Amino acid sequence: MAKVEQRRGVSDETLREFFREMLLIRRFEEKVEERFRAGELPGFLHVAIGQEAVAVGVCRALADGDVIASTHRAHGHTLAKGTHPNELMAELYGKLEGCSHGYGGSMHLYDVERGNLGANAVVGGGLPAIVGAALAFKLRGEPRVAVAFFGDGATNIGTFHESLNLAQLWQVPAVFVCEDNHWAESTPESQHSPIRDLSKRAEAFGMKSIKVDGQDVEEVNKVAARALKHARDGKGPVFLLCETERLVGHYIGDPQVYRDKDELHRLEETADPLELLREKLGLSDTEYESLDREVQDLVDASVEFAKNGTDPKPEDALKNVYA
Amino acid sequence: MPELSYREAVRDALSRAMRQDEDVFIMGEDIAEMGGSMGVTQGMLDEFGPDRVRNTPISEMAIVGSGIGAAMQGMRPVVEVMYEDFLTISMEQIVNQAAKHRYMSGGQLKVPLTIRTQGGAGWSPGAQHAQQVVFASTPGDVRGLLWSAIYDDNPVIFFEHRTLYGLKEELAEEIEPIPIGQARVHRQGEDVTVVATGRLVHESLAAAEEAEQQGVSVEVVDPRTLQPLDEDTIVDSVKKTNRCVIAHEAVTRMGFGAEVAAVVQHQAFDWLDAPVERVGAKFTPLPFAPVMEEYVVPHAKDVLAAIQKTVQRDGAS
Amino acid sequence: MANEVKLPRLGQGMESGTIVKWLKAEGDQVEKGEPLYELDTDKVTQEVEAEASGVLLKITVAEGEADVGTTIAVIGEQGEDVSAIEGEAAQPVAEAEQEEGSPGPARELERERGREATASEQITEIREPAQGNGAGARIKASPLARRIARERGIELGSLKGTGPEGRVVAEDVERAAAGAPTQPAAPAPAAAPPGEFERVPLTSVRRTIARRLTEAWQAPAFQIAMSADMTRAQELHDRLVERVKEGEAKPTVTDILTKACAAALMRHRAVNALWAEDAIELHPNANVGIAVAIEAGLVVPVIHQAERLSIAELAAARADIVTRARDNKLRQEDLDGGTFTISNLGMFGVEQFVAVLNPPQAAILAVGAIDPKAVPTETGFESRPLMTLTLTCDHRSLDGATAADFLRTVKAFLEEPGLML
Repeated sequence: MAKVEQRRGVSDETLREFFREMLLIRRFEEKVEERFRAGELPGFLHVAIGQEAVAVGVCRALADGDVIASTHRAHGHTLAKGTHPNELMAELYGKLEGCSHGYGGSMHLYDVERGNLGANAVVGGGLPAIVGAALAFKLRGEPRVAVAFFGDGATNIGTFHESLNLAQLWQVPAVFVCEDNHWAESTPESQHSPIRDLSKRAEAFGMKSIKVDGQDVEEVNKVAARALKHARDGKGPVFLLCETERLVGHYIGDPQVYRDKDELHRLEETADPLELLREKLGLSDTEYESLDREVQDLVDASVEFAKNGTDPKPEDALKNVYA
Repeated sequence: MPELSYREAVRDALSRAMRQDEDVFIMGEDIAEMGGSMGVTQGMLDEFGPDRVRNTPISEMAIVGSGIGAAMQGMRPVVEVMYEDFLTISMEQIVNQAAKHRYMSGGQLKVPLTIRTQGGAGWSPGAQHAQQVVFASTPGDVRGLLWSAIYDDNPVIFFEHRTLYGLKEELAEEIEPIPIGQARVHRQGEDVTVVATGRLVHESLAAAEEAEQQGVSVEVVDPRTLQPLDEDTIVDSVKKTNRCVIAHEAVTRMGFGAEVAAVVQHQAFDWLDAPVERVGAKFTPLPFAPVMEEYVVPHAKDVLAAIQKTVQRDGAS
Repeated sequence: MANEVKLPRLGQGMESGTIVKWLKAEGDQVEKGEPLYELDTDKVTQEVEAEASGVLLKITVAEGEADVGTTIAVIGEQGEDVSAIEGEAAQPVAEAEQEEGSPGPARELERERGREATASEQITEIREPAQGNGAGARIKASPLARRIARERGIELGSLKGTGPEGRVVAEDVERAAAGAPTQPAAPAPAAAPPGEFERVPLTSVRRTIARRLTEAWQAPAFQIAMSADMTRAQELHDRLVERVKEGEAKPTVTDILTKACAAALMRHRAVNALWAEDAIELHPNANVGIAVAIEAGLVVPVIHQAERLSIAELAAARADIVTRARDNKLRQEDLDGGTFTISNLGMFGVEQFVAVLNPPQAAILAVGAIDPKAVPTETGFESRPLMTLTLTCDHRSLDGATAADFLRTVKAFLEEPGLML
């Protein structure tokens, strides 16, 4: 009872939905790992295990018409933005039924109808386009916001600085979501950034900056809602720094030789956003298992769907080069 | 018929597009009050206001990238990169993003972006990695082609030549759009085909006059679009004359001319009576001292020498 | 239900790994997530966790390299029967290379030599006539010059190139091709002296004919003859005529004959030849001359590359040159380049005749009228439309056997036109 009174804004029911959403992402990513290890998935894959709360918290705060651009670690954002697991899995299997129709793969997931302007294999590659989209919204007077996801590693690249500078200068409705998981592949933050507090980077451009615990989906959601409102009201772009944890390697199969295994285990025990929310909600085992089975079924079905999908014809490679 | 300079022709195309179409806007460094470093956008700030004629910071990646973003939302931005040398800064956005969004999304996105830049031109990485690359050499061509570029749904890199900005031509009242990918035969001839771009079109025409005096009849063809290349016009011409010279301002090695030479060699192999000659800049960066620059950059006399080489005889007939 | 432990793919491009050490033994209890064995990939040695809980019933691959996907162990319930699940034996590291794949160096060398041999054979066949060039010397000629030379049947090696570094250019070939002797001017006819006979001065055409045929007489010639049953050829002719549209030339049996000869010439290249004093020139195209009787005498315009033309096209070409021959409108190029000649006196009622060679061609075919003749069959005699084919050959270029083979083919084509396809 006391718990309910303390929370404001996000109801238990909504939190349950968040939990289900996050659990879906978790099980999806675990399945992707499994299928990759079985040799069924081509290419490189980067799963978002540990970062589910940021994806769900932010995406569930978006309005219709808002757009996102993501990174190489895009499955969570893509699912949270509304792409059906079937279409996502089919894309990973390289099928025509995939959201990018087999042309993109894990790092180029697009779902334009649902406002997903694409995952990006180039670190920081999608940021300038988000500034451009926000500019278009402003010029046309549309109440839409453009949201970019990126990691702490990306705050070092030129496009990050140019984009934040331009966005703040032109006061466009953009939100820059930094998923600070303290690693740029195998390089710890201490080795890639001379400052600890990355929000200072946004402040350097005079941009409004908010910090949040990225493993607390409720907090993320509330803070994201504030940031979106700020931008939507024409008050300028916002930098949202989410402290989160990557509970897996950089890519599937990464043995993480560069990482302290004890520290990793500790994080798994204490910083798993699913466990944290499960506890906060006080979910019973029965409830948990029921939800788990539900999402697991969805995930298993998506693999079936993908495997039964249509392979593109080789000549399809020549299509879609020009509009 | 009004006489417009190359510069005015560019401005004319931009202005008319912006007058008829809210979605067209321009941005770049110093294009507002100053009217652009080459004076191309002079007066446009007054007519269209700062929202649609936007000065940008020195951020080529963000300039091009935000152009991409606005284009993906259905606008038709025309961004200016002040010097073609700076295109290399925005290469990542052009090559990895603009050129590939449509493809990687499986056809979900369009990027109707036009990137204008100027310099000596003939930028080969562009033709390889970007979608469309246009390079007009006359006021009429530049106006008609820019119009087509703005209204093309694919990204276009649009080169202008610095030394041609003052070139004047009588143009029609209405803009006559020129299709992207269509070459133009400036001068008909029987003995040699010279394929030239930009400033070298004019140098080649001068060389052709000279060659005529020497009894060699030269045909001058301007591809106008580097990518996609109008192979048919070029190959038909070479099949007629049996000899080919390619002239461009960019460095010869691995330049645009190498691609044209390969196409010509492949499609007109049995029609060639002499090896294909290429005229271009020497393989050095551009030096400062005028006497050195003169040496590095190609001129009419170099085109003439190449023409002569194709008709050269050692043994008397 | 027993769980097969398979070797996982731990990175893109990983095809196999080497099991270094098992951390659990057969019979041990295993929990999901517990380290089960150590695996050596190309990059690193790492612990691999168990994906299921249970008893490690069987280790099927104890040590060594295994492919991704191979079953290396089984986890299940105590007492389960897993004898059916056999693992593949671990392959010893560094297995012998497959037999397929790149052939050994010796084989490559052989192939190279084979290629060279074929190539030099071809070059020899073409080069032999033009020995003036020096065996094996590379001729410098532009692609255009080569093409024109090929088309006109001119030997590059015999030309002097005026292009840079002595390269033969198109102009050089064109000049050589146009080097046909000009017609001598027609002398004014002298007034006939008084007397019993009329003295007809020679026209240039007559003079030419006289000169050339005298030349021909110097060649040691022989003739071979066959008869062809023209039933099918006539059927084909009738059908073709049915299909002729307004304005198109009506095909004749001569057209079919031209087609048959052209096709046969392509199969018997030795007959498509010209005598060149110190060599025999074998030509790539059948440029078939048709002997046409005109007022001034005899003229032989040529249908070039007849083998490429359909019967309809041949009819059109034949009609054109015959018309122009009779109108005296033939051009030099109509008369040049012939490699074979057909002379048909059938329309004059001639049954069979021997034509005089048309030098320097290796052969000329004389054709008589199509007459019904009695032909023995199994049941008696039948009337068949037969046509005589008499081939006169230059024995310097051709031997009897070769000529007979050729004529047999022509006969076969006429008797069964479908064979020409």
